[in-house]
Amino acid sequence: MNTDMNQTAAAIEINGLSYAYGRAEAVHDFNLTVPTGRCYGLFGRNGAGKTTAMKCLLNLLRPRGGTVRVLGLDPARQEVQVKRRLAYVPDAVAFYPWMTVRETLDYLASFRAHWNLEVERDLLGRFRLEARQTTGALSKGQRTQVALIAAICPEPELLLLDEPTSGLDPIVRREFIETVIGAYQEGDPGQRTILVSTHLIAEFEGLIDEFTLMDRGRNVLTLGADQARERYQKIRARFPQAAPAIQFKDALDIRRNGRELELIANGGGAAILEQLRRLGPESLTSEALTLEEVFVATLK
Amino acid sequence: MTVKITTMLLQINFKSGTPVYLQVVDQVKAAAAAGGLRAGEPLPSIRPLAEELRLNRNTVAKAYTELESQGVIETIPGKGCFLKPNQSPLRKEVRRKLLIEEIDQAVVKAHHLQVPAGEFLELVRERLEVMDEKRRASERGSGQAQA
Repeated sequence: MNTDMNQTAAAIEINGLSYAYGRAEAVHDFNLTVPTGRCYGLFGRNGAGKTTAMKCLLNLLRPRGGTVRVLGLDPARQEVQVKRRLAYVPDAVAFYPWMTVRETLDYLASFRAHWNLEVERDLLGRFRLEARQTTGALSKGQRTQVALIAAICPEPELLLLDEPTSGLDPIVRREFIETVIGAYQEGDPGQRTILVSTHLIAEFEGLIDEFTLMDRGRNVLTLGADQARERYQKIRARFPQAAPAIQFKDALDIRRNGRELELIANGGGAAILEQLRRLGPESLTSEALTLEEVFVATLK
Repeated sequence: MTVKITTMLLQINFKSGTPVYLQVVDQVKAAAAAGGLRAGEPLPSIRPLAEELRLNRNTVAKAYTELESQGVIETIPGKGCFLKPNQSPLRKEVRRKLLIEEIDQAVVKAHHLQVPAGEFLELVRERLEVMDEKRRASERGSGQAQA
């Protein structure tokens, strides 16, 4: 772990957050700490409470219980100060369809104290966006690109992205999210924080350095991405005879099929491998789980 | 996900269980050992490399910091990162000790994979030759490029 990063204050601090839509509880006793400078993933299925939690950070929803701090401030009491210092891209972006890309960006820039025109020009060029085109004529992917450009040009300290790539075709979405994140992080290295909520985890595999897995409104797992890939291992063994029916500590999802045995180690992978080795397998392999596989294994 | 840096190839494998920044560190060192990257040659700057590999900037920055602290690369302000001549700042005993740790791991692995000592030593010799051959090939390649 990078110790100098750990010592800086958290960009987001959520403690015991609860929120309900009528009687339906969406977020329950939820905790989240996002250290400054991280690219942080909030992972969960649709309906897990990710968007609700994010809206509480923006004071778009008033929590039923718990505390929320954004950049050290309380968004319910210091809403304007908080919003000045962050940018939020909701899952469905809407623009005035008759405005051109140029007019839209100028309009959005008019709400901001600062706007980096160089970043704007660079990204418009890279995404081949036509400034004279009306936003109504853009594809969904292009509208998302415009929204992301508008989010990073003010160079906020915190960037909140709610499902930025869902609903886009796979080719389009693979190409731009790393460009936006790269451009955003470049400005003030190590100081700008990103919180991205998504259920499309594979696309963010290398971009995320820490994540929280949310399910049914709760924090199920918080880990560094590298730590997760180190801790969760898929182990496969094939034996000369039927696979032994033994128990393993720290193993999830054990499957036996004739001579083969497959399991997922949740920590303690080395001990399990040693245990299996002593049983004389014909072959024995292990590989790390991807973040998406960690997500699936944990929620199973 | 493969990126060409000069003549060096970087490839990140999320299933290896090795921290991503260490994969970058190891591969830059491997490329330097194999002659794919030579002393004085520039490494790509952080942002394009991060984008190419679809990594976040922190990871690449951490890898470069690590390479710099190991004396593999140096940062020249305003110019970027460059591969340093192969001169470890560490004393000989320290260098040997670091290598012994790695060798011990390979020895343990050989034991568990039932590779006997003689075969293990033969493999080491073979790998040293492979590395030598790569270095010679990249020297020939650059000679032609200059000619």
